[in-house]
Amino acid sequence: MNGYMDRIIKIDLTTGKQEEILISKKIKREFIGGRGLGVKLYTDMCPVKLDPLDKENALIFSTGPITGLIQTAGRYQITSRSPLTGTIITSSSGGFFGTAMKKAGFDCLIVTGKSERPVYLDVNDGKITIKQATHLWGADTHETMKIIKQEINSSASVACIGPAGENLVPFAAVMNDKDRAAGRGGIGAVMGSKNLKAISAFGKKDISVHEPEALKKMISTLNTLIDKNPVTGKSLQLLGTSVLVNVINEHGMYPTSNFQKGVFNDAEGTSGEKIAESILEGRSACFKCPIACGRKTRTSTRSGEGPEYESVWALGAQLGINDLEKITEANYTCNELGLDTITTGSTIGCAMELYEKNAFPEKLIWGDSDNLVKIVEDIAYKRGIGKDLALGSKKLAEKYGKPEIAMQVKGMEIPAYDPRGVQGQALSFATSNRGGCHMQAYMISSEILGSPVFTDRYSVDGKAEIVALLQDISAAVDSLVLCRFLQFAVSLDTFKEILNIVTGSDYSEDELLKVGSRIYNLERKYNVEAGFDRKDDTLPARFLKEELKEGASRNRLVKLDEMLDKYYEYRNWDKNGVPTDKIMKELGL
Amino acid sequence: MRDIDIDKLAKMIDHTELKSSSGEGKIKDLCVEADQFGFITVCVNPVNVKFAAGQLKDSDVLVCSVVGFPLGMNTTEIKALEAKKAVEEGAAEIDMVINVGAMRDGKHDYIKADIEAVVKASAPAHVKVILETCYLTDEEIIKACELSVEAGAHFVKTSTGFGAFGAFAHHVKLMRETVGPDIGVKASGGISNIKDAMRMINAGATRLGTSAGIVILEGAKLLKYATDSWLEPEIPCHTCPARSASIAKLPKALYQYYTNKCMKCEYREKYNKFYE
Repeated sequence: MNGYMDRIIKIDLTTGKQEEILISKKIKREFIGGRGLGVKLYTDMCPVKLDPLDKENALIFSTGPITGLIQTAGRYQITSRSPLTGTIITSSSGGFFGTAMKKAGFDCLIVTGKSERPVYLDVNDGKITIKQATHLWGADTHETMKIIKQEINSSASVACIGPAGENLVPFAAVMNDKDRAAGRGGIGAVMGSKNLKAISAFGKKDISVHEPEALKKMISTLNTLIDKNPVTGKSLQLLGTSVLVNVINEHGMYPTSNFQKGVFNDAEGTSGEKIAESILEGRSACFKCPIACGRKTRTSTRSGEGPEYESVWALGAQLGINDLEKITEANYTCNELGLDTITTGSTIGCAMELYEKNAFPEKLIWGDSDNLVKIVEDIAYKRGIGKDLALGSKKLAEKYGKPEIAMQVKGMEIPAYDPRGVQGQALSFATSNRGGCHMQAYMISSEILGSPVFTDRYSVDGKAEIVALLQDISAAVDSLVLCRFLQFAVSLDTFKEILNIVTGSDYSEDELLKVGSRIYNLERKYNVEAGFDRKDDTLPARFLKEELKEGASRNRLVKLDEMLDKYYEYRNWDKNGVPTDKIMKELGL
Repeated sequence: MRDIDIDKLAKMIDHTELKSSSGEGKIKDLCVEADQFGFITVCVNPVNVKFAAGQLKDSDVLVCSVVGFPLGMNTTEIKALEAKKAVEEGAAEIDMVINVGAMRDGKHDYIKADIEAVVKASAPAHVKVILETCYLTDEEIIKACELSVEAGAHFVKTSTGFGAFGAFAHHVKLMRETVGPDIGVKASGGISNIKDAMRMINAGATRLGTSAGIVILEGAKLLKYATDSWLEPEIPCHTCPARSASIAKLPKALYQYYTNKCMKCEYREKYNKFYE
C-alpha cells in the first residue's frame, strides 16, 4: 500500500527468532501507523498483567505512512508499558531514525524477549541482524552511536539507551541521532530490560506515493503555512522552544521551586533570548524541517544540544537554579546518560522540597547548582543519593512520607506550566493517558499562544471539549507520524489531505478524528484494565487547594471536578472514567 | 459561523504587506500566496503596485494600493495624484488615509473634499477610506463615515495598522450601522487569527486587511469542530478599545476619552477584578 513498506517484524530476543506480522487493511485504515498501530499491536499482544520490565513485554518501534516523505516526518513512535507509571506509553522522537527505519524497509519493529547478553539490532536494507553489544554496554549514548556508525555505516541512524536504561531507571530515555529523545515514561528501561542497547537503521528503499506531484505541491504549501505561522515561522526558529521561558513566566505560571511559586525572578537569565546571546552556536533541524527548533550550544567546557524549554525549566527554575551553564551541562549529561530531563529535574525538585520540610536526609538546597551534574550521574547509575532519586518523584515522596510533594499525575512528573494558570492544560494533565504530560493535548497553544485562537485561560467553559478534541487530533497526527509543532500551523483538514495524497485513501476529516478517538479510547481501555480510573485523573492537591501568592496567575485554583465531569460526558465515559460500551462499539473496539 | 466557506472567506481578505522593510522579494511571495490561497487583493505600497500588477497579470487577484499612507497628512493634490498614478500602474482598489488632524479639528468640508478628490482620481478603481479609528471618538467615527459616503467612497476602513491600535469590533459595528448595507466596511490592523476575523465579520466587516490571511484560512478549517467557548466573546473588556488605550501612544484628550468610557462602563464592576 502506498506510504507503507508493508513489513512488520517481531524479533524475539530470547530465541533470536524473527517473525513477519501481517495486519489487515482494516487495521491500517482504523489505526494508520505510528502511535495508532503501536497501541493496537501492543494491546493485542500484551495482557495488562505483564510487568513493564517482564521479558515478555513488547517494545514497538513504529513509523507512519508519511514518515520519510515531508517536513518533520523523520519521527518515530515507541509503544510499551511504562515502568514509571504502569500506564500504556507511547513516546515519540524526532531526528532521522524514523526515516532510516522506513527506508530500511520496515513500518514496525516489535521487540520481545530478553537477550542473554547485550545486543543491538542492525536494521539494514530489508534485513535485521542481531549483533552482540557487550563492548557497548556501559557506554553513553553519544559513544554508542559513534561506535555503531563506525561498525555499520556512517550514514546509519541509531536509537539507543545510555547507562540509565541499562540500570533500569524508570525514566530512562531512548536517544537517537545524538540528542533527540523519546524521553518520557521510561521506554529506555524497557529496552534495557531486554539487554537491547541500540537499533541501527539504514536503507535506500523507495517509499511509494499515490500522487507524487500533488505531494510536491503540498510540501510547498506546508512550507508557506509553517512560515506564516508566528510560532513555527518565527518564535521557534529564532529562539527555539525556550522562547517560552519569559512568556510563561510573565503569565505567572512558570513553576519555581517544585511549583511553590509561579514566577521565577531569574527567568530572564535562563531564557531563549539569553541562550541566543550566550551559549548558542547554531540551529539544528530534524528531517527536512524548516523550523529547526533545535539549539546547538557550547559551555566553557562542553558542547551539545539544548536545553529545550522543558529541560531548562526542570533543571533550572524547578530547582531554583539560575546558572545557565550548569543547567546546560546537566542537560547534556541527561542526554548522554539517557534520562528524561523533566522527570529527572522534577524529582530532584521534589527531594529539595522534602529536605526543606525536614523529610529527606540528604542536603539539597534550592538554587545550589554545584552538584547538579553529579546528582544526574548518580541517578543514571543508581548510586548514592541517586538510588532514591531514581525512583521518580511519586515513589520518592511516598517513601519519605509526603506523597503530596510529588508534582505528578499517575506517576509522571508534570512539565513546565503551573496548572493554576491554565484550566484547560490542567485538565489535559489530569486526563492524559500517560500521566503528567503536556504533549497529548497542548492547551498552551490556545490558552497562552492563541493558536489557532485564544481561549480564556482562566475559564473552564468548553475546556472539556477542546481537550478531548486536541487529544484526538494529536493521536491522529502521531499516527501519521508528524511533529506536534506542525499542529500550530496546519489544520486537521490539511493533515487529511496529506494522508490521502500519500496513500490514495479517501479519509474525511471526521474519519481521521475518529481514528484519533479510537486510539485514545483504546489506550484508556488498557489503562482502565490496569486499574486506572477517576481517582487517578487528578492533580496534586497543591493545584486544587493552594493558591499562588504572586504573579499573573495568583489567587486561582484548578476547578478540576467541574471540567472532569464534562470531559467524561463528552467522551462518553461513565462517572468513573470508564469508556462505555456505546463508545467502544461506535469505535469498533 | 461554523459552516464558513473557506473560498468565500479568502475573497474577503486583502493580503497585505505594507512594511517599509519589505522589498520586491516579499511582494513576489505575497502575490504567489494570494494567487495560491485565493485572496481578493494584495494590498501594497504605491511603489510596489506596478511590480505586483506584473506578478498577477495572469491571476484573478487584484492589486490594492494605499494612498497618503500611513499618516494621511499629504495635501489633497498629492493624494489624488498618488491614487491616479497607482491606478495607471494597475491598482484596482485604493485605500486612502484621511487627514486625521483635520477630522479632529472638525474640518468636515476639507475631509469630504479630500476624499472626493481621491475618488475622482481613482475611477474606475474602488476607494476605501481609512479613518484611523484609534485616534477618533465614536462621534468622530460616525461623522467620518457619513462624509465618506457623501464623497462617493466605496468602503470605510478602520486602521492603517501603524496607529495606536488596530481594528475593534466596536468600531466596525459603529461604522456598519452608519454607512448602511450598501457600502463596504474593511477591518484592518491586528487581525491575526480566525477568531479575530470572525469577530470583525460578525460586527459587519465585509473586507479584512491582514498579513495573517493564510493563518486565518487554516484556522477556519478547525471551526467546524469548535465549541461555542472558542468563538463567543470573552470578557468584554478583552475586546474593548478602551483596554488598548495606551498613555504612551494616544494624545492626552483621547486617552482621557477612553479612560472615561471605561470608568462609566456597565462591565467595569463585574469584570475589572479579572484584569491581569
